[in-house]
Amino acid sequence: MPTTPAVTRSTVPSDSHLRGTPLLRVEDLKVSFPSEAGTVDAVRGVSFELHPGRTLGIVGESGSGKSVTALSVMGLLPDSARVSGSIRLLDRELVGLTDRQLSSVRGNDIAMVFQDPLTSLTPVHSIGKQLVEAIQVHQDVGKIRAWERGAELLDLVGIPNPAVLMKSYPHELSGGMRQRVVIALAIANDPQVIIADEPTTALDVTIQAQVLELLKKAQAETGAAVIIVTHDLGLVAGMADDVMVMYAGRPVERATVDELFHHPRMPYTLGLLGAVPRPDDRSGAPLVPIAGHPPLLIDLPDRCPFAARCPVALDKCLDNEPALLEVHAGHGAACVRSNEIVDGAIDGAPVFPLPEIPPGVMANVPREQRNSVLVVEDLTRGFPLTKGAVLKRRIGTVHAVSGVSFDIRAGETLAIVGESGCGKTTTLLSIMDLAKDAGGRIEFEGIDLSTANRRATRELRRRLQIVFQDPMGALDPRFTVSEIISEPIRAFDLAPAREIDGRVAELMDLVGLDPAHVDRFPGAFSGGQRQRIGIARALASEPSLLVLDEPVSALDVSIQAGVINLLERVQHHLGLSYLFVSHDLSVVRHLADRVAVMYLGRFVEYGDVDQVFGSPVHPYTEALLSAVPVPDPAVERSRRRILLSGDLPRPTEQQTGCPFASRCPLKPTLSQEKQQRCTTVSPQLEETADGVDHRYACLHR
Amino acid sequence: MTKYILRRILGWALMIVLATNLTYFLASSFLDPRANYLQRRPPVPEFAVNANLTRFNLNDQEPLLHRWWDWISAIVVHWNWGASPEGASVNDQVATRIWVSAEFVLGATVLTTLIGVALGVFTASRQYKASDRVLQQVSVVTLNIPTPVMALAAVVAGIALNNALGRTVLFVSGSGSVGTQGFLHGLLDGLQHLVLPTVTLVVTGYAGYHFLQRALLLDNIGADYVRTARAKGLTKATAIRRHALPTSIIPVATSVAFSIPGIFTGAVIAETIFGWEGMGRYFVTTISKNDIHGAVAVAAFGAVVTAIGAVLSDVVVGALDPRVRVS
Repeated sequence: MPTTPAVTRSTVPSDSHLRGTPLLRVEDLKVSFPSEAGTVDAVRGVSFELHPGRTLGIVGESGSGKSVTALSVMGLLPDSARVSGSIRLLDRELVGLTDRQLSSVRGNDIAMVFQDPLTSLTPVHSIGKQLVEAIQVHQDVGKIRAWERGAELLDLVGIPNPAVLMKSYPHELSGGMRQRVVIALAIANDPQVIIADEPTTALDVTIQAQVLELLKKAQAETGAAVIIVTHDLGLVAGMADDVMVMYAGRPVERATVDELFHHPRMPYTLGLLGAVPRPDDRSGAPLVPIAGHPPLLIDLPDRCPFAARCPVALDKCLDNEPALLEVHAGHGAACVRSNEIVDGAIDGAPVFPLPEIPPGVMANVPREQRNSVLVVEDLTRGFPLTKGAVLKRRIGTVHAVSGVSFDIRAGETLAIVGESGCGKTTTLLSIMDLAKDAGGRIEFEGIDLSTANRRATRELRRRLQIVFQDPMGALDPRFTVSEIISEPIRAFDLAPAREIDGRVAELMDLVGLDPAHVDRFPGAFSGGQRQRIGIARALASEPSLLVLDEPVSALDVSIQAGVINLLERVQHHLGLSYLFVSHDLSVVRHLADRVAVMYLGRFVEYGDVDQVFGSPVHPYTEALLSAVPVPDPAVERSRRRILLSGDLPRPTEQQTGCPFASRCPLKPTLSQEKQQRCTTVSPQLEETADGVDHRYACLHR
Repeated sequence: MTKYILRRILGWALMIVLATNLTYFLASSFLDPRANYLQRRPPVPEFAVNANLTRFNLNDQEPLLHRWWDWISAIVVHWNWGASPEGASVNDQVATRIWVSAEFVLGATVLTTLIGVALGVFTASRQYKASDRVLQQVSVVTLNIPTPVMALAAVVAGIALNNALGRTVLFVSGSGSVGTQGFLHGLLDGLQHLVLPTVTLVVTGYAGYHFLQRALLLDNIGADYVRTARAKGLTKATAIRRHALPTSIIPVATSVAFSIPGIFTGAVIAETIFGWEGMGRYFVTTISKNDIHGAVAVAAFGAVVTAIGAVLSDVVVGALDPRVRVS
């Protein structure tokens, strides 16, 4: 098996702060923006040093000021921002420079990689033109030489056929490819500092692994110092040497990566670490959500901004805002009780006690004895590809889903995982459509959809509900919460009019919302609360199966944990089944009982979640699992990543043979004869061993 | 791309033929050339009216399809677009008026677009600063000046200038002086006649493009790729010019291309005030004088200009935006 060993980080002693002059020194940086509600203090005193070759991770939730910090180092804040403090690059002060002066620093000394590769390249200029521009801004070279250098850079970031790609336009490239181009732009002038702002948030895990590996390579190539801004603790664990945790515009804890992950001293850091599900955790222990929400950064009072959400806050926390003080050498925390916190506990009692989730009503019933809620057999869905404006000719078919079979029993959760474009959402929507025209058979609560009449279909709709990914877009902004939740009750006539208010209050209470807020509009709620409204609405019609389409991917980690716990609690309480679609394998591991790994419209591995995640058989599952970052630096360091080459192939051709053959890391190691089989014989799901709930579709495992 | 453009041109050609013929039937049923003769004093005898109308293929006592066939055959065979009820040739009228109109509006259109786009870019880069606010206010005012008011103001200003200088520098009426000889003299004379109408059309017209370009550019100035360009080391102004402008000018180009037919036939008021015999006035005159063939010719001309605008906009958008290039 060709594995690429994780690039080992420089083993610099933890007291690196004492070494030499820093490359970048930020002192007491403050940034504020005027707004209609008042001045927003987005960054309120950030200081850090960055040494050559080191990687600093800045972690925080949305609104913590991490991106604003990064942008102020680049001098790319909007004109309305007021910046004070000092940002020194070697001995040059950057705060207060004009746009023209800063433009000689940007791209030359400090470069930046942005979050969304789909929008960060100009659509109307060719890749080559954009690269040449980046080179010629800072280097006095001719156009031809710059063009050659651009092609070299593309080659360096692992883009095949650089000469051809130079002439392509951004829309012709996949997301992962575009992010490689963005990285090539960033390293075009050998910068001393590379700032990566959520560089992989918009990418799939296998592509994320490629891009992170590339960032490490770029750092090794240029010897640059790197700042990684992210909300993903797993990514930081794998990439950073030092970590700064930000909350409400200030750093609240700062240490080397091992120290921070293994001996956190600030309750917020502890909370974040407890709130993240881990892909390698099989205990099933509930996650620890952090109650409440981050404060608005307008006219903050002089007290610990986290006190309102902190389970161990004391009266003195409200006296004034604690400064970031050294707990011991190289480890700072902004908490009055940081010296008391040892291994996540104060006096032996955990800072964040584990929430109790009562065991499910179905917990003692073995799977074989439960009723099947949903049975899907050989589901196939294709979309026609047409050409021509008036007379449309069919020139091909997008095979979105081909021959997928699964079943869900009462009270269990089946997760479908896969990268974008693998067909998981189409599978889910085909079921939601109650589509009669879809190929294959769908049976819901014992009723075959193709034979169901209108009445039965209507009843099926009631029993089958969905929770959408985007809590903002899924709720009508002009409906009150009460109207949103009661609509299904009225539509299906489930309760007499006078009982509806009571039913709505009951549902709000169930999902952890204050029933007093029934008359508010969705706009008045935060993302997590909106998702709870969405769940309450779905539960209102008393369904037996809830379809969850990436229900937590739009939420911050501390909020996400609360919603995941809620989903578990509701399932245990009501004995619901979930069909859960996600690209986040950590959440899947935590929430699902059974999992199906999907690739190009087919299941490649399917079975009990602990079986599939614990001992994956299919090379794709292996690669997928190895690509997920684990929030533990020790684990990350010892892991071996299986990097897949290239992107998902286009699903327009009917594949002969194994759909994964083109990217399979196993295939090149096989004999000619066996490779031949990969491209001609289509593998079917086979059982691993008798009686074990685990199937896979690979010819050579 | 060439094949695509050719296909589009063919499509538009069909559209022009269809639109022109439809207009012929519409005009024949709504306009009544006979009425022109009935108003004559002394009254014209009916046989004379019929004879005249028949001569110009306008007699409503003949079947419509017959008239249509004669009309269309004359166009196809002789490129003869017929005559007015009084017998004046449509071909002659249109041939001179097209050039008058072109002279009248093309310079103004180019200036309107350039000034509008330039102001849009300038003000968008300085959003909410004093210069942005002042220029926006000015544009709001000019946008709301009715064409006759602006035209009369231009006339008054022109006369004042002429009086101050003691000789006629700017002509306030007509498209050219009678008896001008030589190319250079002709050019100068044309320009002297053109200044005031052009100023009128530009002042009343540029603000639309100013606001459109400003709004579009503001949408794009905040785009991630402009930030990427600045992160590469481009100054803000350069990044806007090279990365935000090319994407935001596309809708403006489309809008300009499609506004050309409207400008050609819609500058009636300005043409009237400045005494230019262009297509706009012809359009109004033909309809008011029951000139079926003239009205249809104007419609056909409008269709041709629309087609040219549409094809031009396809070419321009294709050149500006690689995403819409069709193989």
